[in-house]
Amino acid sequence: MQFDDLTKLLPAEAILLSEESRRVYECDALSAHRVIPGCVVLPDTIKQVQDVLAYCHSNDIPVVARGAGTGLSGGAMPHAEGVLLNLAKFDQIISLDPLQKIARVQPGVRNLAISDAARPHGLYYAPDPSSQIACTIGGNVAENSGGVHCLKYGLTVHNILQIKVVTITGNLITIGSHALDSPGYDLLALFTGSEGMLGVIVEVTVKLLPIPPFNKVLLAAFDNIENAGEGVAGIIANGIIPAGLEMMDKAGIRAVEGFVHAGYPVDAEAILLCELDGTEDEVNNGLNQVKNLLSGYGATQVRIAKDEAESKLFWAGRKAAFPAVGRISPDYYCMDGTIPRKHLAKVLTGINELSIKHKLAVVNVFHAGDGNLHPLILYDVAKPGELERAERFGSEILELCIEMGGTITGEHGVGVEKIREMCIQFSEDELEQFHAVKAVFDNKGLLNPGKAVPTLNRCAEFGAMHIHKGKDKFPELERF
Amino acid sequence: MVEKIALIKEQVLEAIENASSLNIIAGGSKEFLGRKITGTPLEMGRYQGIINYEPSELFITVKAGTLLGEIIQVLAERGQMLAFEPPQFTEKTTVGGVVATGLSGPRRAYTGSVRDYVLGIHCINGLGQDLSFGGQVMKNVAGYDLSRVMTGSYGTLGVILDVTFKVMPIPEFELTCFCELSRKDALTKMYELSCKPFPVSASCYDGEKLYLRISGYRDTVKTILTGIGFEEYLNGDQFWRNLRDFRSSFFNTDKNIWRLSLPVTAKPEIGDDQYLIDWGGAQYWIKSDRPANEFFKMAEELGGNATLFKGTGHNENIFQPLQEDMMIIQQGLKRAFDPHSVLNPGKMYAAI
Ligand SMILES: Cc1cc2nc3c(=O)[nH]c(=O)nc-3n(C[C@H](O)[C@H](O)[C@H](O)COP(=O)(O)OP(=O)(O)OC[C@H]3O[C@@H](n4cnc5c(N)ncnc54)[C@H](O)[C@@H]3O)c2cc1C
Repeated sequence: MQFDDLTKLLPAEAILLSEESRRVYECDALSAHRVIPGCVVLPDTIKQVQDVLAYCHSNDIPVVARGAGTGLSGGAMPHAEGVLLNLAKFDQIISLDPLQKIARVQPGVRNLAISDAARPHGLYYAPDPSSQIACTIGGNVAENSGGVHCLKYGLTVHNILQIKVVTITGNLITIGSHALDSPGYDLLALFTGSEGMLGVIVEVTVKLLPIPPFNKVLLAAFDNIENAGEGVAGIIANGIIPAGLEMMDKAGIRAVEGFVHAGYPVDAEAILLCELDGTEDEVNNGLNQVKNLLSGYGATQVRIAKDEAESKLFWAGRKAAFPAVGRISPDYYCMDGTIPRKHLAKVLTGINELSIKHKLAVVNVFHAGDGNLHPLILYDVAKPGELERAERFGSEILELCIEMGGTITGEHGVGVEKIREMCIQFSEDELEQFHAVKAVFDNKGLLNPGKAVPTLNRCAEFGAMHIHKGKDKFPELERF
Repeated sequence: MVEKIALIKEQVLEAIENASSLNIIAGGSKEFLGRKITGTPLEMGRYQGIINYEPSELFITVKAGTLLGEIIQVLAERGQMLAFEPPQFTEKTTVGGVVATGLSGPRRAYTGSVRDYVLGIHCINGLGQDLSFGGQVMKNVAGYDLSRVMTGSYGTLGVILDVTFKVMPIPEFELTCFCELSRKDALTKMYELSCKPFPVSASCYDGEKLYLRISGYRDTVKTILTGIGFEEYLNGDQFWRNLRDFRSSFFNTDKNIWRLSLPVTAKPEIGDDQYLIDWGGAQYWIKSDRPANEFFKMAEELGGNATLFKGTGHNENIFQPLQEDMMIIQQGLKRAFDPHSVLNPGKMYAAI
């Protein structure tokens, strides 16, 4: 058995071989894709990670790294003949320096735990994915995760300084530094969002920011989506960068109201939530300005939160959007395209047409400030054919995003889920460039095989019917 | 401009054919930067123009040869800016040069660097292939983030054709203030302020005075000025522009100018050399004829890096030497983009 020698590298309790214990890891949050891993390891020292990777490298064993498994694109989906490398035991904050405003943390530390540790110093870690109570910083770096505050404060890539990485050959390398820049090519940017394809992250230094002294939320209702979209553009064109700017459509509003009673107007076609932060005066003045602007764009109702409690309540609705949808539908499929905001109305109309075509309902929540759409497709896995229809529907939404000049994934990653759409977004030469970069770090292709970047053959397999920009994309490859 | 792209491709393919190399040139304003290289000149200067600018989408897409000054002006007309405050050494500075060198100005420590604002790049790699990475949207995690990797690569990975930047609103109001302080006290003040939600957008210590720029809403900025007990400095815009463009009298010298990028709380050994501290303590400029290795060694020990920013008689290491395993990775990346070593070989390091 090829995993036997792992017992020489790790204590027995750090290796899971029974089917029962391996099954726990068969999927991430994209539960439609499941594979039971060949074996699961839970190292707790960097040396053990190095040994396991070097062993896998010598024996040609695939390796899939896993944080909390909250990924939504199947990035941490295991390999049947491979090792699932679980980083859960790396859960320590190594140091926190309030003067430098940085924290050095292990990869399995939960996102929210960093802000909790920084709070006594008046600091926090800005990227705040909705999954922040569960997801790990290692997973965040691997996915370049965002959150509702990333319009103003940036994504993971803007908020980290240094990572330590173990390569597939077992080398430990340091990328970036505690200075603001590092010599040579920007490997930190390359690793951020690389979905576990280039190396295993074993330490992260994050930047911390001072907690804004004050914030407040405004809720605006619209009787058509176009006005809401123009309102968003209006706010930004007026030089205001909100801390958060979220939109929800009618189906979303209704699902949420039935669940948390956030006081959202259920007859509106769309609502906007706009959070400003800064000094109390700045926020209050800014919100008044936003209120006037949005009224000018045809808002039927604009409410500035009276106090902190009401701000929280407005947010509670948005934050409960996914579970609220989970309550009205047995299953839902969360998409993640980004579009230039000006095409919002067109894209939402397109999504509604697709909804009729595929006979599946859809709820739209939207990081409106940065153009990141999260259509939630409602389906029931128990009904034959519905999952397939949902996937087809999702894929067509992503194609629509590409057509509008956007992208197939804003923050959830490609994983196994969007492999096919990668063939549409990128040309053959571009995909080859990605593979060339991958080969620098992992020429045997052992790290997270089959994810993130499709081979040209797979594209040919998928793409028989795909004509890109008027020309057949892979003319020299055989059709299947 | 399709012809220009075809021409560039042709030049790359020709260089491969002849086993020669190219020296990518745009405005020439940063010629003093980096190692001296030979190679057939590849002129980008006339590849100019704004392809797309959408203020309400917060992005601008421009051709690499476009003058930085032009873009700054076009953005300013709509109340927006490049938040990394790129240096404009001369009026010939181009956008391609800004991205290739990855240099940012005084605002960098507070709002981010060039690569933080690069959303997408269209380029020709060393195989003459026409490639686009990233795009015009702010959130995009499809494929590896190669547009950020190309930023600061000194043209050694690809010929940059167009770039898309995220743009930001110009703050409503800015003022500059100063206070006479010892170096120790100035540094302490900078750390203290940066740990508070305090809208500093630049800070510089010149050995005698600490200068701060405060940006935000007019009322807030005025209130802050009253609160911190600094004196208002009336020629602030000029001061930061000179620092940004290396025109402050400090930079007027025959000595070598070293740039040290360090963890913000590091305390380099400066001795009697003249210096400037920028970026809240994270960037030191030192005028010195001390040997290069002293700076490289000191920067490494402090966890940062040194660059011979401007100087003579030295073409070995301009940038911080890399550890061997890191250099192997960098060489691998170079080969992945430019296997025949056609694009600016040796501009950053002899081996890439
Ligand atoms: C309810 C819900 C809400 C969400 N909201 C958001 C949101 O607002 N914004 C957002 O961006 N995402 C969101 N997500 C997606 C997900 O939480 C993020 O992608 C998160 O970063 C994944 O972290 P994780 O620790 O769970 O990683 P996993 O799912 O375990 O892994 C994700 C990927 O990272 C790789 N990986 C993990 N750890 C390492 C490591 N140490 N080294 C190398 N590779 C590694 C894995 O191989 C995999 O490819 C949400 C998910 C859920 C379920």
